[in-house]
Amino acid sequence: MSISESLVVTVFSMSLVFAVLASLFALIKILPMVLGAFVNKKVETSATSDVAGTPVAVAMATGSGSSGSISSGVLKLIDVDEKTAAMIMAIVSDETQIPLSELCFKSIKALQN
Amino acid sequence: MFLDAIKTIWSGSGFAAITWKELIMIVVACVLIYLAIAKKFEPLLLLPIAFGMLLVNLPLSGLMAEPVEGSTEPGGLLYYLYLGVKLGIYPSLIFLGIGAMTDFGPLIARPSGLFMGAGAQFGIFAAFIIASALGFKPQEAASIGIIGGADGPTAIYLATRLAPDLLSAIAIAAYSYMALIPMIQPPLMRLLTTKKEREIKMEQLREVSKLEKICFPIVVAVFCILLLPSVAPLIGMLMLGNLFKESGVVDRISDTAQNALINIVTIFLGVTVGATASAEKFLRPQTLMIIGLGLMAFMFSTIGGLLMGKLMCWLSGGKINPLIGSAGVSAVPMAARVSQIEGQKANKSNYLLMHAMGPNVAGVIGSAVAAGILLALFGK
Repeated sequence: MSISESLVVTVFSMSLVFAVLASLFALIKILPMVLGAFVNKKVETSATSDVAGTPVAVAMATGSGSSGSISSGVLKLIDVDEKTAAMIMAIVSDETQIPLSELCFKSIKALQN
Repeated sequence: MFLDAIKTIWSGSGFAAITWKELIMIVVACVLIYLAIAKKFEPLLLLPIAFGMLLVNLPLSGLMAEPVEGSTEPGGLLYYLYLGVKLGIYPSLIFLGIGAMTDFGPLIARPSGLFMGAGAQFGIFAAFIIASALGFKPQEAASIGIIGGADGPTAIYLATRLAPDLLSAIAIAAYSYMALIPMIQPPLMRLLTTKKEREIKMEQLREVSKLEKICFPIVVAVFCILLLPSVAPLIGMLMLGNLFKESGVVDRISDTAQNALINIVTIFLGVTVGATASAEKFLRPQTLMIIGLGLMAFMFSTIGGLLMGKLMCWLSGGKINPLIGSAGVSAVPMAARVSQIEGQKANKSNYLLMHAMGPNVAGVIGSAVAAGILLALFGK
């Protein structure tokens, strides 16, 4: 294969790699919107069908749909710096003997004396 | 009579049959065993690969011998185990385990990591061009180039399909350079980024719902396989493993995929890939060229990822630290760790690990897609 032919293959293949991953980018961007609309519709349906149980039903649906389990990359830090938070997480993991990968921290808040 | 018996045993033993080439291969295998144990160079794979190499170069063992047609004599043990590599079963099963171990959350939270994962595939094609110019056939050049994807199973999968004779050299180069990432990447990272860029602290990632994480593998599998059917075994297994993990309803299967299964397959894959490194296949100038081209591929991939990281940094108004771009080479999580270390060297309060995991897992998808394209172009 000549260099010019291999250059053509390279340009074509790299373009295709970018096109595929750019399409995945678009799909990931669209996904929360589609799922959000689907979950909101579900919440509305359950709210109208059970008036007496409204607060509970809405709370449950919102809890399981819109927020759900949280990625290991998301953690709310309130008056705590990242280094301290990392230390706290490591201590909790060590004390409970549960690997960090199996623990889910939602927020770490500094208590005011 | 006693002497005759000794002569018979000697002439029938491997000591009498061993060649100088096999002796060299045994030394090479011992060096690799040393690197795996003493230097911890990707020991999980390098150790079985090196031992497979050692076994196959012991003459008369017949471990890789094919069964003779019409004979009741079976083939060698490693010949049968090697069928899993030849048929593309082991790399796909390894991808199942990798999928079960991977958290795509950071990528879903910041999908722009996909562009860095794409940029980091540049090394594959840079090495492809150079290998072609050096006289390798297109199939061989493509198999050598995939080393730049920094993804062992993908490299093995493509090499078995396009250039099985080069498999051992490609696998050894791929895993050795993956182990050397902490040495290969940092100089390039410092060369291509300014101190100001390396100091950039990135914002926290958004929350990713469980539903998004469940839908992600399904969407990726459907889209990628419909577009590139040749990538189905790798992407299909990767996403199946991830669905096991994220669904939360098959914990036992997920646990098996990410522990027992991947460990068993790793043993078979490593030993049999090593067993393809027979003296006559390995001791030739091409092997040295493959090792050199592999290093080049890794370097160009790192450069590609970093340049894409710089572009993303500029486009985001300085919100993205370009160091995470180098994690686009798919060596998970080693490349992300290197980004974290370099980021922290520039700014002690910098925590880039989770941000770098996005491009890192995007690199796994990117290299599988690149392999699928090469397979579609050059497959028989």
